Amino acid sequence: MNRATTNPSIEAGVGAGNELTRDNGTDAPAVHLHAVTYTYAGSEAPALEDVTLDVHPRERLGILGPNGGGKSTLLKLVLGLLEPQRGEIRVFGLAPAQARAAGYIGYVPQRARIEQAFPLSVREAVTLGASWRLSPLRRVPRDRRLIVDRVLRLVGAADYAHRPIGELSGGQAQRAMIARALAARPRLLVLDEPTVGIDAAGQHKFAELLATVHREMGVTILVVSHDLRAIVAGCDRVACLSRRLHSHTAPNGLTPQVLAELFSHDVAGVLGGVHVHAHAADDCGSCGPAHSVVVVEKGRSERGRV
Amino acid sequence: MGAFEVLAQPEMAWMYARALIAGACIVAACALLSVLVVLKRLAFVGQGISHAAFGGVGLAMLIGALAPALRISGVEFAVLLLFCVATALGIARATRSGDGGEGNSMHEDTAIGVFLVGSMAAGALLVQLSRSIAESRGVALAGRSWESILFGSILATGWLEVALGGAVLAVIVGVLTLVRRPLLFWAMDEGSAQAFGVPTPHVRAVLMVLLALVVVTATKLAGVVLATALLVLPGAAALRLTRRLAPVLVTSILIGLIGLVGGLALSLVTNWQPGPSVVLVLTALLGGASLWGR
Repeated sequence: MNRATTNPSIEAGVGAGNELTRDNGTDAPAVHLHAVTYTYAGSEAPALEDVTLDVHPRERLGILGPNGGGKSTLLKLVLGLLEPQRGEIRVFGLAPAQARAAGYIGYVPQRARIEQAFPLSVREAVTLGASWRLSPLRRVPRDRRLIVDRVLRLVGAADYAHRPIGELSGGQAQRAMIARALAARPRLLVLDEPTVGIDAAGQHKFAELLATVHREMGVTILVVSHDLRAIVAGCDRVACLSRRLHSHTAPNGLTPQVLAELFSHDVAGVLGGVHVHAHAADDCGSCGPAHSVVVVEKGRSERGRV
Repeated sequence: MGAFEVLAQPEMAWMYARALIAGACIVAACALLSVLVVLKRLAFVGQGISHAAFGGVGLAMLIGALAPALRISGVEFAVLLLFCVATALGIARATRSGDGGEGNSMHEDTAIGVFLVGSMAAGALLVQLSRSIAESRGVALAGRSWESILFGSILATGWLEVALGGAVLAVIVGVLTLVRRPLLFWAMDEGSAQAFGVPTPHVRAVLMVLLALVVVTATKLAGVVLATALLVLPGAAALRLTRRLAPVLVTSILIGLIGLVGGLALSLVTNWQPGPSVVLVLTALLGGASLWGR
């Protein structure tokens, strides 16, 4: 896969190994989950059961799974918004809430619900991500304003940095949200369903953007999605989650059998009576020779490069 | 008697001057918060808190009936404030929206509905009870009339209330300055703010207390029924005219002040009640801003 960026502003604005990168300062895994189980109040079945998983520093891990498979729960646990009933979670060696309070975690929501009339520009919103912890009597220091400029260029949002944050298109808003997360120079960037509502071209651009962010900032990336393409295109490793962790593997280890097992309940629930099976790469003209294709069939097909 | 003849009398002139100064402080405080109220869709919360003030009025009257020595503006203000702050925090606690928590939290509109009707009912009964107590004791209960409770009595403002209005404005400006960054982050994107580490329940609680504070003072100007108007109309009008933070806040205050001066002038000329007159002018200003902002 070609991960080179085509955005000239990125190349002009940011060099490798600069002040955007924050030293991890520890050999601890970026994220460590050991035998984590979480059950929501009033529910008998656990949303997550006995999940053990390590995310290494600077790794890009995708968490793939069907709707209701526990992805959002895992994300809330990593962010420290929920406490597991059993097991242990560490983010760079700290409890998630501590890591969050220390500013180690940058979060990009699935879709930020920002009022159209909200009276902040994109630049001001991104600056807020870098400065909300500052003393109220302090102005935003120059170095932080420079970082804001750089992340805006890095994500390709510099051209519309002056526009009101509530008036952006879906793709523009997503870039602004990534910039806001990066402006705080997190060690871990968590993205929640980043490609929902984005077309195929937008997903391709998103994968390029994620690769650029990873290359330029050296940040650990955790992507949570049920979208195969979002996961495969932008991650080094994929963890398949459907209440339990089914496997973790490199993207090319995602066999059709693994996906069929992972999504069988979800797909059957939505479409009814469909089946998931594999074709050789030659069957699909849009995929490269190293890929196989997963096709979900029933009237319409959805293709993901694996 | 014409408006100029009214103002030519020193007593009347001072009455309007006090109303103008106190009203300006109240309107400015409300206008600052109204931007947040509109953006966070908290108008109904403001309505709930302002109607809760009715319960506070009843409690203050009961205290006045039982202990006539405490029948002073400062005590009434303190009782109202405590009642409204308790209601605001109760609504915040009952809803806890956006903090990712679980448990028995209820929808915001349900919680407000519960507090609103509960407080109105308690207020009505407390007013009735305090009147009968005062009557049985032969005490003259100088409590507020139903009309002034519901629609305000800004012209009855004393210098103590002017000072209270100024103090409330200072508190609002001071606290907003101190918490502006986490408050803005929360207002912009509550779900993400918590993931970034913003203490969203605390931020929400701070805003609720500030809302309670301005509502208590705004009931003097516009009464419990119309106080919410001061928390909605200036901000809603300003957000139709600009999308930059500082201009929005300044515009909101200016619109509030124009509404106040225009409303008092209208009241003076027509002999209408000042509170509803101010709200009517503000509503007209919002209509004008909507047309201008198209």
